[in-house]
Amino acid sequence: MKREPGRDPYLIINFVLAAVVLIIIAYSAFLSPDNDNYPVPCIHEKLTGKPCASCGISHSFSLIVRGEIDEAYMWNRYGMRIFIFFVSQLLMRIVFSVIYQKNSLLRSQIIKMDIAGSAIIFLIAFFPFIADLISRFRL
Amino acid sequence: MEDFSTSTGEKGDQNRKELAGQNLGIIALITAIITFVLAVIPCVGIIALIPGIIAIILASVGLSQASGSNSPRGILIAGLIIGVVATLISFSQIFVAGKIARHAERKFPGDIQNIIRDVRQDVLKDLEDASISIKVESNGEIVEIKADVKEKRIDKLQELEEGEIQPPDTLNKQESDSLK
Repeated sequence: MKREPGRDPYLIINFVLAAVVLIIIAYSAFLSPDNDNYPVPCIHEKLTGKPCASCGISHSFSLIVRGEIDEAYMWNRYGMRIFIFFVSQLLMRIVFSVIYQKNSLLRSQIIKMDIAGSAIIFLIAFFPFIADLISRFRL
Repeated sequence: MEDFSTSTGEKGDQNRKELAGQNLGIIALITAIITFVLAVIPCVGIIALIPGIIAIILASVGLSQASGSNSPRGILIAGLIIGVVATLISFSQIFVAGKIARHAERKFPGDIQNIIRDVRQDVLKDLEDASISIKVESNGEIVEIKADVKEKRIDKLQELEEGEIQPPDTLNKQESDSLK
């Protein structure tokens, strides 16, 4: 069944996810690391009283957007790889959407490639958090 | 004319049937993907439980709508699976947070006990090393009491070893004479 570009689920999902990534980048750019006015608190720290592996990641994102990479590493050492994941997802949503529209015969393969690529990038980017979560089970 | 409208209506119904649950499936899948990413981040992983449950509900409703027609279910099933996995990860974050909190509670009294023990040992050590000197002056007489615990002990031990000291219960010659 041939659908209009505006009704195609893959394109809609790509568009929404790209918008979400753009919102994350805009959030990082809008909030200032000097004012430290981040609205999302660390729930993990509130519950346990101990900082978690992702504490300071918003601060780190804000510094990365402003080009202060060294200081961003100091706030959260995993901030850079997570930021790269989001940026790569933004690029992938755009590139895959264009390829998907141009190659109507290879759409199924394009979707499979997108899922596989995104899953690999996700695992690489979020590996420290996943490893941390698994290690905490052994406490 | 009548036939055309009827056929258009039928086509519309058929399309609607074929796309039953598709919009819910798209919303469920997007919610599930965002939840999945959130669930892995420890800071906000616990909050991800709410959108995770929403994604599961949306996907389930979409599947029930799709079951009555021949509409594709791929997106709905993907949304449901990702939603369930994301919810489980989020739930595990709660479990882990609870475990850390319990561990900290167990460890905290032990820490206090260790601190108290260390402080007590430090105080006792300081007292052993202490050198106290009290000087009292009354009507031109000066009485000075010196207590150098550590040195005294060491000196006494050395004197005892060398045989230079008498047992402590005996009085000095001058003191015994004055008593006489």
